[in-house]
Amino acid sequence: MLTEIEQILYIIIGTFLVSAFGILFGLSAKGIDRKLAAHMQWRVGPPLLQPFYDVKKLLVKESVVPQNAVSWLFNSAPIVCLASTIVILLYIPLGPFNPVLQGYGDAILILYLLTIPSLAMVAGGFASGSPFATVGAQREMVLMMAYEFPLATAIVALAWKMNIVAPSLPAFSLTTFAQHPIWDVVGPLGFIGAVILLVVLIIVTPGEIAKVPFDIAEAETEIAEGVLVEYSGRNLGLFYLADAVKAVVLSSLIVALFFPYNLSPLLAGYISLPNICWNVVDFLFFLLKIEIVLFVAMTFIRVSVARFKVDQVVRAYWLYLTVAAIIGLVLIVLDGMAI
Amino acid sequence: MSGGKKYTIPVGPLHPAVHEPITIKIDVEGEHIVGVDVFCSQVHRGIEWLGMNRNNPIQSIYLSERVCGICNICHPLCMVQAVEKAAEIMPTERAEYIRVIMAELERIHSHLLWAGVAGHEIGFDTVFHYTWALREAVMDLIEYLTGNRVTKAIMMFGGVRRDIDETGVRKIKEGMQYYLERFHKIEEIFLHDPTIKMRTRDVGILTREDALKLCAVGPTVRASGIPKDVRQDFPYAAYADIGVDAITPDMYNGEVHGDVFDRIIVRLLEVKQSIEIINAALDNMPSGPILAEPNLVKLQMLLKKADGEGVGRVEAPRGEDIHYVRLRKGEEPFFSWKIRAPTYNNLLPWIPMLMGEQIADVPIIAASTDPCMSCLNRVTVVDVNSSKEYVLTKEKLHELSIRKTRRLMRNAH
Amino acid sequence: MMMHEVLKLLFKKPFTNKFPAKYAPKSTYGFIKLVKEGKAQIIPPVPTPPKFRGKLKYDRESCVGCGLCVKVCPAKAIELVTYKEEPKEEGARPKIIRKIRIYIGRCVYCSQCVDICPRNSLSMTDEFLLANEDKLAKELIVE
Repeated sequence: MLTEIEQILYIIIGTFLVSAFGILFGLSAKGIDRKLAAHMQWRVGPPLLQPFYDVKKLLVKESVVPQNAVSWLFNSAPIVCLASTIVILLYIPLGPFNPVLQGYGDAILILYLLTIPSLAMVAGGFASGSPFATVGAQREMVLMMAYEFPLATAIVALAWKMNIVAPSLPAFSLTTFAQHPIWDVVGPLGFIGAVILLVVLIIVTPGEIAKVPFDIAEAETEIAEGVLVEYSGRNLGLFYLADAVKAVVLSSLIVALFFPYNLSPLLAGYISLPNICWNVVDFLFFLLKIEIVLFVAMTFIRVSVARFKVDQVVRAYWLYLTVAAIIGLVLIVLDGMAI
Repeated sequence: MSGGKKYTIPVGPLHPAVHEPITIKIDVEGEHIVGVDVFCSQVHRGIEWLGMNRNNPIQSIYLSERVCGICNICHPLCMVQAVEKAAEIMPTERAEYIRVIMAELERIHSHLLWAGVAGHEIGFDTVFHYTWALREAVMDLIEYLTGNRVTKAIMMFGGVRRDIDETGVRKIKEGMQYYLERFHKIEEIFLHDPTIKMRTRDVGILTREDALKLCAVGPTVRASGIPKDVRQDFPYAAYADIGVDAITPDMYNGEVHGDVFDRIIVRLLEVKQSIEIINAALDNMPSGPILAEPNLVKLQMLLKKADGEGVGRVEAPRGEDIHYVRLRKGEEPFFSWKIRAPTYNNLLPWIPMLMGEQIADVPIIAASTDPCMSCLNRVTVVDVNSSKEYVLTKEKLHELSIRKTRRLMRNAH
Repeated sequence: MMMHEVLKLLFKKPFTNKFPAKYAPKSTYGFIKLVKEGKAQIIPPVPTPPKFRGKLKYDRESCVGCGLCVKVCPAKAIELVTYKEEPKEEGARPKIIRKIRIYIGRCVYCSQCVDICPRNSLSMTDEFLLANEDKLAKELIVE
């Protein structure tokens, strides 16, 4: 058993490592996303490290605070946004590594935490004192309310299944999901249900990370980046980082819920490696899984559709996705009854 | 989201939705637009003044080219036609065909450019990059024929400055084939993509009555089901020989909505029509000289001696363009030069189009008339003493117009 | 639907012409220096067509200084310059020579001066890389 001090140290070091991972990998993922999107649009695109250059530039630029902004709120919103996004990452298993704060929170907590970056953006938008930011903040709220329900339904459906499969384990814990991958425990009906839920989560992702078609809160041609319109310099840089980390959070959540597989059990029979090497292999495999999820959920969707309007977003999430999520839930429940 | 507090959002003078300086003040309740007001005249460049005071007519050709970066065949063509009427110069027949070919190449390039911009306005950047990549072919063609991609510098009083030789004809034919082959792809993207349809169908409706009442021109009015096209109604250059029918959206699917989607249909069909016109013009192009007066010094003398007035009308990609020119004997610069660019007519229809729509529709509705502010802005009224700008009322403007007409009439004799 | 098209494009070569370099160099001047030293290479631009209107070329010898080009230049980029040539013989009147000077920084590349020149002293080259921070730089004045 670890002593209390050791545990605190472990958490502190883990937090640092996870934050560094989230930011660095988030930015690289952004670079890959931009590059792939550019190629899908028949152009060359920026160099892979462009997001790093962007952040570097933003951090040395002056942060302008508008005269009629509520400056303390305006300045603290980006920090809250980035911090809360990184906190979520502490509750999600990263490939072979268990979450830093394992045992302290579960999927329900993550659901709640996911709203905080959006709320910070809303606060920052309202504090900007610009009509564009106000419209953007309103849209962000509408968007948040719209995607929350299908997201929650999907997670509840999965947890319900976990509760049936392993009644002794906490149903909402992501570790439980890792121990019993959803595909292994469902029958054919449940399989269809799980696929539907996966699609729902993938479509929720661009809403969470504000990408076309659900980037209504930032829509640059309509409201000139909306909530971010008055932000500049360091503040904008922090929002930029938060956005990058959020993409990692969402995709690792999908990976944790649906693809918690590791390579090591599969390959261990053929090659023998020291434990630490297996960790590295699994971690790289995890990054690959994140990249694939991001490619589908972020890059591919955003290059192949137009931006929706607010009412269309609400209809898409409340009507189509909610119905889909409920169908997925029902299928999984029916599947459980058949057994 | 209705019943909330009403507040005003200024779109412009600098805003990503409008690529040129113009201000649309929209009153919104939540996301819904309940009031619209348009303020223009932020990019007055004094082009007419230069034409009337500094330049001789030949210099003014290149000035008129710079009225607009995209319509820079239409404006010089229009101006050249007006001067030709004023000075009684007959352009040669071959030149008339070359003018038609150049104008239609420009229409293809302008409509493809617009299509890309429209894609960008609804957040569909892939469409934007894709159509602009396809547009490169026509740009290269224009560069081959005139020597530069954008400023074509091909118009001259009494004809055109560059002939199209055998290779040129072959290249144009190849280019048109390129577009015919890719046309179905463009059509597939714009007319069958569900998200584009979602964003443009029944958005920004301009009824037939409003379109007539507000004198909308070009694809904007044709999308409301009114077959109004200068090439059809008052053919100029070689259009009378070729025969052009105004395109309305009911030609595509038998119905007219007057919305943004219909404007997309009209523009895409016009691209196809332009290809046909170019091919017809190439096949029927007579041989002969390209300039009525190849000696430019003589031409300048001729223009200096001329006395009279002329009006040029051209169907620009955005709609009808009008240039009025009056020449006075013994004076080199134009005695009067008035430009009425199509965007001027297409601004007021914004108001009925925008009313009742959402903020998200502003960019695509504004873009759907293909506005060009630097074309539009011909006058800014400034009180020299207090250096303040002010707005003319309708009565005052009417009075000033009468005064100016009298002045022109008096000086005619 | 665009979905199908974008996946196809993903495996296609980008349409962009990567002139002058694939990515913006860290320092433009540094890049130009490297190119001059032969350490870096410029990706060539799209070739210009035969009738391309680029930087003006002026044949000083054949020019008679009639000034027609000055009159038609829409950008007023051409200036008529008079030189006094000292006479070879003592007491004779100095010879006056008229030539033109072209400010490329103002040129709009309409090629009207080329058309009107009675001695064909002017022509247009295909040179178009003329960006300069000084509009009166030596490269931008033709005489």
